Order: sequence, then structure tokens, then C-alpha cells
Amino acid sequence: MKNPDRKKFLDIMLGVGTTAWLASMLYPISRFLIPPNIPEANVTSLEIGQVTEFPYNSSKIIRFGRKPVIVIRTKNGDFKALSATCTHLDCTVQLKKETEQIWCACHNGIYNLEGNNISGPPPKPLTPFNVRIANDKVIISNEDMS
Amino acid sequence: MKRLILLLCITGTPVTWNFAAPTDDINGCISCHQKNDEDRDDDEKIMTHFYEDVHYLKGLTCSDCHGGNPEEFDDEDVAMWDVENFVGAVEKKEQPEFCGKCHSNPEFMRLYSAHLKTDQVSQYWTSHHGEKLKEGDTQVAACTDCHGVHGIYPVKDPRSKVYPTNVPTTCKHCHSNEEVMANSGLPTDQFDKYTVSVHGQALLERYDIAAPACNGCHGNHGAMPPTIFSISDICGTCHANNAELFKGSHLKRVFIEQKINQCEGCHNYHDIAKPTDESLNWAVNKTCIYCHEEDEEKAKILATALFNIIDSLKQKIEIANEMVDLAENKGMEVEDLFFHLEDAHKNLIQTRTSIHSFDDKYVRKTSEDGYKAAEAAIIGAEQALHEFGFRKKGLLVFSLILTFFGIVLYLKIKSME
Amino acid sequence: MKIYDWLNQRVDLDSITKFAKKKQVPVFYGTVWYYLGGVSLFLFIIQVFTGILLILYYQPGSTTAFESVKFIVSQVNFGWLVREIHSWSANLFILFIFLHMFTVYFAKAYRKPREVTWYTGFILLLVAMFFGFSGYLLPWNELAFFATKVGSDIAGAIPFVGDFLLKLLRSGDDVTGATLTRFYGIHVAVLPAVFTIILGIHLILVQVQGMSVPPSQESLPPEKRKYMPFFPNFALRDLLVWLIVLNVIALLAVFFPWEIGQKADPLLPAPAGIRPEWYFMFMFQTLKLIPAHIWFIEGELFGIMMFTLGGLIWFFVPFFDKKAGLGIKSPFWKWVGVIIILYIIGMTIWGYAV
Repeated sequence: MKNPDRKKFLDIMLGVGTTAWLASMLYPISRFLIPPNIPEANVTSLEIGQVTEFPYNSSKIIRFGRKPVIVIRTKNGDFKALSATCTHLDCTVQLKKETEQIWCACHNGIYNLEGNNISGPPPKPLTPFNVRIANDKVIISNEDMS
Repeated sequence: MKRLILLLCITGTPVTWNFAAPTDDINGCISCHQKNDEDRDDDEKIMTHFYEDVHYLKGLTCSDCHGGNPEEFDDEDVAMWDVENFVGAVEKKEQPEFCGKCHSNPEFMRLYSAHLKTDQVSQYWTSHHGEKLKEGDTQVAACTDCHGVHGIYPVKDPRSKVYPTNVPTTCKHCHSNEEVMANSGLPTDQFDKYTVSVHGQALLERYDIAAPACNGCHGNHGAMPPTIFSISDICGTCHANNAELFKGSHLKRVFIEQKINQCEGCHNYHDIAKPTDESLNWAVNKTCIYCHEEDEEKAKILATALFNIIDSLKQKIEIANEMVDLAENKGMEVEDLFFHLEDAHKNLIQTRTSIHSFDDKYVRKTSEDGYKAAEAAIIGAEQALHEFGFRKKGLLVFSLILTFFGIVLYLKIKSME
Repeated sequence: MKIYDWLNQRVDLDSITKFAKKKQVPVFYGTVWYYLGGVSLFLFIIQVFTGILLILYYQPGSTTAFESVKFIVSQVNFGWLVREIHSWSANLFILFIFLHMFTVYFAKAYRKPREVTWYTGFILLLVAMFFGFSGYLLPWNELAFFATKVGSDIAGAIPFVGDFLLKLLRSGDDVTGATLTRFYGIHVAVLPAVFTIILGIHLILVQVQGMSVPPSQESLPPEKRKYMPFFPNFALRDLLVWLIVLNVIALLAVFFPWEIGQKADPLLPAPAGIRPEWYFMFMFQTLKLIPAHIWFIEGELFGIMMFTLGGLIWFFVPFFDKKAGLGIKSPFWKWVGVIIILYIIGMTIWGYAV
């Protein structure tokens, strides 16, 4: 190499390049290591609130994964969780407090609190979900345990 | 030869099964009438489906309905004519009472089927068919025209002429026949209109037996066209929300006073089409002008307001759909956004239903949730697209650094050699 | 360098440096192929790094695996990047090992004295493919689940040991969460250890024995043979190639991300079009074409036997191709190689065309 200045410049540039390259790799890696706000993935069970947030003879529709689920607290204080998608033409069902039944507004389909289709067009019952209470918290999970 | 005969016997047995009764079940009636059938046209044969008839399967036989002596195989008089209470062939106007002999008798019916109702005949006399029959018109439908005869299946059996998917064809038999309906003053286009209607397509093409056939709205044995007080209650049996909303609206009272059939006024009856938003679009369809000729302006304002609410929600949902698709195509994770889109779509259905209140404030309030859901999807999609843009920029920066480094490296290699 | 001196006073670094400085790379028309082994190594290093990063967030288990991958890709900072790099680099890793193996084959580098390098290399290919097979299941999505089911079914077809092998592989009779746990252990602990040890042997052999050249080059007189020192000349070139590969991976990660798919549900029937990853496709397609029975042997078993036989012949090619070791031309083995490449490429394309 003839020109020592040019060699030195090249070496400096090489150092700059190496540093820039290492930095561009370390940046995403270090960001990756810092955990996000929700540190864990939602699994097949979901905590949906305190027991006190569910008055007797009322219902709430919550989201479980991609599906709507209707969570009902009966007159006796029991919890029931069922798929909220009507089995007739996919409308979202609601609780009818007076009759303690689940009603679909689209074509007047009726289910009982176990999810069984008892009147109107729905051809199948609503899929049930597990509910359990732990430390005053209501937790819903899928029935399947594969 | 022996083998051939054996073969014929074996293959012949299933073929004749239908017509050969179990040997201990052939009685005098069946043995003669089976022979008589050979001389009759197909549509007049008696025995064709006899052994599948629900009455036969329950243990009843010819004489239980027609009277006569089933033990007599030879003499016609001993078998039939000389027997007291022998009825024989039943005339059309005798049919209701004939079938009613058992079917209107609760104590008798209880022996065979505890849940079957016993009011069919009394209902029938209140129907148009029943009234006309009393007046002497024998062209109208009586029991066998709908249920068949000598091969009657239970209603829940898909072979029954009155199984839900078969009902339209059964009614069509007379009601689409110009000759039969000639003096009735009734149209004959009901079946054709029904098959293209939203209920017809649901029942006949998708086999959704929740959809009403003719009897769903007209009734079974007491079949009558629904009258003004009852129309929205009949449609309301399934379309409960719409009926509820309409009842609370200012139009219900007007419709009753003016004697306009309620739901039918906008939705027609046999050819009920899937309602579209366009019927509220004043520029295209002046639907309300039918009544509001005098005060067109008032109708136009409300119709336009309702149309705009629905249309703008629809457009917002369309935009949300497009954006989520775009984000998904770029490989971004958009699972959560589909939930919002579903919510928005369901709300659109609810908003459309809510127009039956004819109250634009109520409709606007109903649509608010749909807007929020569509908005949430749009925001999520925008974030996803923004993130993709960030990735592209990051990639560009990284590539530039690598290219720079690569060039310098290359020059260094060259300089060393 | 101060650090170097400090260490050198305690451990003899000088002899290593001297040895390293002696490493030469032959310069001729075939030099460009020497990059392939290095790129394979680079990709392995990438896999180890990105794999370790993924372990920090991935949760194995049938109820958590899919969700944790989704979590990594959508919530973790640059999680998408780590996952995409790991997925793409895995495929490129196997591709480059294949390329490396075939260029080595045609250069007859397997001949004496480098037979063990060939043997360890082929084993490394098999371990890499097992890496791919086990890793593919970890996201626990539909495609992976059924591909694993179909793939492991084939193991069950081996006579005598088939059922035992199947149970061992699947940790049970069917593919379940237990299979996932076992594959996870295999993928992140067992295989890395095995691969590293065999790779160590493979690399040490290359350093100690030097770079091989094809017989045509070897027979040239010494003045006609050119070399360049590995450090720094070829090493810098290697680095340049590695940078290009890295850039390509980054491009693929951004513009061609891998799908997460649908979560696996063992109760659902298999979706249409199940197929294994591309590096197994040629075997899969072959098995599909074999009739149900050949003589008295079941078709699938026949296929497995043929592939095992083929694999053994390929493995022992240094033993069979004695001529190469003696410097005599053996076009027969060259053509065997050509046919095998064409077969693999042809079957792979066919598998996708159907």
C-alpha cells in the first residue's frame, strides 16, 4: 500500500463501519431483552375481573381470544360462561333477566342458562366455558384440556 | 337351472318386499285391494305406501277407519256392504269429520301419542278452506290434500308432504294452478314469489327449517291470510326486535288507522326480499312516498337521515376492512383487529334493525358502538401499517450500514493486495 | 496488544497465532465455493443467537406455545425480527449445508485423507435436518402439527424398531403436548450439544488438514498453484460474504414474514395439502409415488429402505470411490452426484406442483 494516509483513512472507516454494524445489531437485541408491558401471553384462561364486579342476575360480554363469551351471574350467585355467538346465524346473544334465559334478538332464539337451545331457530346449544373463582377473581377457561 | 331359480328368489325378495306384507298381516281388505291396484293408475293405487303409513305402523288397519270386516276374503257383501257402520270411500266434505273421529278425540289419541293436539278439525272449520267446504266447494283442500292418504307420514318425517321443506310445494299444488283458483279471486303467483324471497331461499336452498313456509305465517289447520292487527305480530314471532321497535314508533298507530298492512307495507309479503339500505335512499327509492304524497318533505328528511347514518357506518366499516386487509397482507399480526370488525358488523345489523323505530336519534345512538368498533379497527390497522413502515425504514438503515461496511471492507481487501 | 500479551504470558497463544497465520486458501477457479462452508457456520451462529433470544420468551406446552409465539411476534420489542431471522436462517442454513456438501462432493474433497471430515459433515447435515424437523413443531400451529404427525408416522414404518422409535420420538402414541415438550428439549439442548461436538471435530480436521483441492488442481506442479493467506485476506472476504447474507436475511424478515397460522387442534381433521418442509419434500414425494406394495414389501417400507440404502452409499462414498484417493478420474461417481441432485430438485418441484 503506497499511500499511508489513505491506508489510515481506510482503517478508520473500517473501524467506523464495524462499530456501526455492531451497534445496529445490538440495538434491536437490547430492546428485545427488555420485556414489554404485558410480560406474558394470554393463554387459554382469562381473568375477567373481581367477583364483586358481577351483580346477581346480570351478564357481561367479554372477549376470549377471538370469540365473544357471555358471562352470567345467576340469581343464586352462580357463574356461567357460554359462547355468545348464536348457533343460528351468528348474532350476539344477551341475557333476559325476567325469564332467566338467554335470548337472541335477531330471530327470537332462546337458550336456557345451560346453553341448551330451547326455542326458536337455533339448531345447536351454545358452547360452554369453564368458570372458576380464585382469590375473589373470576377466571374463564376453555373446556378443552389437550 | 336350480341355481338360476335360487338366484331369482334371492334377488326377487327385496323387490317384492314392499308389496308383500308379512304373511300374518294380510287381511281380506288388503288381499283384494292389492289386486285391484293392478288395474289402477299409479296416482290412484291404494297400497303403494301403505306399509309406511304412520297409522299402519301404529297397529291400525283398514277397518279401523273405514269399517267393514277384514276377516272376509271372498264375499264383497260380507266384507263391506252388509257390515254396519261401513264407510268405504270418503267424500271430500265428509273428510274433516271422518279423520276427526279419532283425531278430535283426546282420550283416543292419548293411547297413541300423548303430545298430539286434537283441535285440528275445529281449527279447520275456521279456515278459508273449511268455510268454502261448508258452502259446498269441493275443490278446496281438506285433510288428504295436504297429508296424503294411505301413506301418511308424521310431520317430522322428511317424506311427509307437510314437512317444512315440502309445504310450499304442497300448497302450490292448488294455489299455483290457474284452473283450480279460477273462481277464488286469489292470485296464483305466491309460490313463485316465495321461492325468490329471503325465507324461500333459506328454507328451500339452505334447508333452514327455522324459516317459515306457508303455514309459518298463515297457520296450519286454521289457515287464513294474516289480518291487520296480526301481521306485525306474526312477523314478530321471529323478528321480535323489529316488531317491538315498530310498536313503539309513531307509524304503528297510523298504519292501523289507515288500514295498511304493517310489515307488508314496505317489505311485501310472499316475495319478501332481503331488505337493502337503498330503500331508504331517497335519491333512488322514494319508498315512503306511497303514503307521504302530501308531505313528501317530512318523509324525505327522516328517510335521508336514517340512510345517512347507516351508509356512513357502512362506509366506515368498509374502510376498516380494507385497512386491516392491507396490514394483514404486509404480514402484520392483525388477529385482534378482526374482533373489532366483527363487532362493527354486528352493530351494523343492529342499526339497520333499529330504523323500525323511525326515530333518527335512537338509530344514531345505536350506531355509535359500531363506529367505535370500526374506529378501533382502523386505529389498530394504522398502527400495524405504521409499524411496517418503521420496519422498512429500519431495514433501509441497516442495509445502508452494511453496504457502507461492505464497501469499506472491499476496499481494504483490495488495498492489501 | 496489552490483553494479548497478558494472556500469552499465561497460556501459549503464540503457537495458535503462528498456526493460524500458516492457514492458506488455494486460489483457482473453484475458490468461490469455499465460502459455502463458512456461510453455513455463520448461519448456525445466527441460529444459536436468535434461538437463545427466543428461549427468553417462548413457552413450550400445548396451551402456551402458540400464544407465546404470537406474543413474541406482536408484543415483544423486535420480537418479530428475531423470529423471522430464526425462521429464514433455519431454511437458509439447511440450503447452504446442501450446497456445501455437493460442492465438496464434486471436488472429491472426501477422498483420503479427509474421509472423516466427510463423515462428520454428512452427520451434521442429518442433525441440521433434525433441527429443522423438531423446530418446525414448536410454534404448535396446524400445519406444523400435521406435518409432524405425517413425518413421524414414517418413522413408525421401520420394521421391528418402528413402533418403539415412534413412541420414543412422540413421547407417546400420538403427537401431543408431550411431543412438543420432547421436541423442545431435543431442539434446544440435545441437538445443539451434538452439533457443536461434531462441528468441532469437523472444523479441527479442516484446520489441521488444510483446504482440499480437486484432483485436477492437486496434480499441477507447485509453481502453478496459487494461495492466499486465510488471515486476513480470505477472512475479510468471508466477512464480506457474511454481511451480504445477513442483509438478505434482513430483507426476507421484513418483506416475507412467516405466518403464525392457526393454533393446532388435535381433534380437527387434517387440512388439505399437508406437506413437510421443502428439505423433506423430495422424500415425501417419492413415498407418495411408490405403489402400496412392491412384491411382498409394503410401499412405505420399501421407500424407507431405498432412502436408507441411498444414504449409506452416500455416507460411505469415500470408501466406494477409492479411485479418487489415488488421483484416478472416476466419472461414475460424478454422474451419481449429478443424478442425485437432479432427482432431489425434480422431486421437490414435483412435490410443490401437485
